[in-house]
Amino acid sequence: METAMERTQQALQEDDEEQQEIWSWGAGTDGQLATGRLQDEHSPQLLCSLSALGPINFLSCGGAHVIALSPGGRVLTWGRGTSGQLGHGEMVNSLQPKAVKALESFTITHVSAGWNHSGFVSGSGAIYTCGDGSFGQLGHGEFKSLCSPVEVSFFSSKHVEQVACGMRHSLVLLRGNKDNQVYGFGFGKRGQLGISTEKVKSTSLPQITMGLTNVRIVNISANGDHSAALSADGSLYTWGRGFGCASDACIPHHVDVALSLKEVALGWNHALLLTSEGEVFMLGGHRHGALSGPQKTSLTADASGKLKEGIVRISADHSETKVVQIAAGAEHSALVTDNGSSSVMTWGWGEHGQLGLGDTNDQAIPQVVSLAHISAEKHPISRVYCGSGFSFVLRTYDSDSQMREGT
Amino acid sequence: MSYDDVEIEDMEWNEELQAFTYPCPCGDLFQITKEDLRIGEEIARCPSCSLYITVIYNMEDFQDTSNRKTEPAKPQPVAVA
Repeated sequence: METAMERTQQALQEDDEEQQEIWSWGAGTDGQLATGRLQDEHSPQLLCSLSALGPINFLSCGGAHVIALSPGGRVLTWGRGTSGQLGHGEMVNSLQPKAVKALESFTITHVSAGWNHSGFVSGSGAIYTCGDGSFGQLGHGEFKSLCSPVEVSFFSSKHVEQVACGMRHSLVLLRGNKDNQVYGFGFGKRGQLGISTEKVKSTSLPQITMGLTNVRIVNISANGDHSAALSADGSLYTWGRGFGCASDACIPHHVDVALSLKEVALGWNHALLLTSEGEVFMLGGHRHGALSGPQKTSLTADASGKLKEGIVRISADHSETKVVQIAAGAEHSALVTDNGSSSVMTWGWGEHGQLGLGDTNDQAIPQVVSLAHISAEKHPISRVYCGSGFSFVLRTYDSDSQMREGT
Repeated sequence: MSYDDVEIEDMEWNEELQAFTYPCPCGDLFQITKEDLRIGEEIARCPSCSLYITVIYNMEDFQDTSNRKTEPAKPQPVAVA
């Protein structure tokens, strides 16, 4: 811990003009933390190697692999690759970030990492998939795994905007359409494809997700056996495995939270909801922060009172701090507050150090993750991303604060 | 407390591990061998963490009998439709 901090300080001093930091922690035995080591980390690790590859403006973290997107639309992947999910043309793990060569001639605008598969969307509206295909989750009409991204020909005459990869299924959002805009493929036993009122075990060809007509969807999410979509007016639709005691839903249904939502983040048994007012609510997650057993749990009580049946409000801290971003791992959660230091907070299951709090305890309420600061003068902007059992933070420093410093 | 209940048909046969597997939220796999199933074991454990799942299956499907081959899962994913 101490040596890591020292290294951090050193790196920050040596490279003062560096405008981005990348941190990782949690489960690391498949190389998903990009530390170059195959071990768990209980405290945030500053990744000098990744920062050296140039700026990253988006990450998607899966079961044990990560997809990074550069501002120029270049794609890097690392971590578990044994199903071909890294797209490097082979089925092996990669401890270090590597460019996906097969996508180099395209400008990639959106990516998603599932349990063991990956989806990539290009600026021209094409979608490419690779990795585990045993459940049809690659959408190519077969159940084969692929170690290089291949264009999903079903969408070749359509303009794809987003992809969301869950445990064994995938969702696709098309641009512009008001109808027939969301598609599902892969494993569907829990209703997560939303393609039929009857249970569909699986489909290897994309099919239209029902029940979203006359709603303009702007965002889709998938994790575990859950699926979710947000509409332009901030309404939430969910389908697939039920949250808490709720039964599975075969087609999308509107979750009436009476709040305008900005973001949704899905775990394997919970969903985090971020309102446009900067408040966070949790759907399901009855054992969130109480998974390892009572002896390891610091607090088992709900963070605060219940809003509606099964929906709990999460307090970032005692004050009226607003939340600007949320992320969910399989069984842990993270948020970023809008205070001056753009604090990252985590809670939930902590057995692999995925909370980054220096131990392996579970936490029932959000705790501040300690990340070293460049200086009090510069204002960082943090973005947090969670994989199944691990977490990443991208921290950039706005140039305004540098200018302020110079004047 | 069991993390989840999973039907055997939703688990995948892993040739390398010689076990039926299911994703664990830590990133590793819950595992149970055919021998475990044959003797009536219903807990699949993750080698990397403390979590485990309960496997739902019919024990008779895994019983050895002298005159017929009863192993239902040849080396292929069982959950493929």
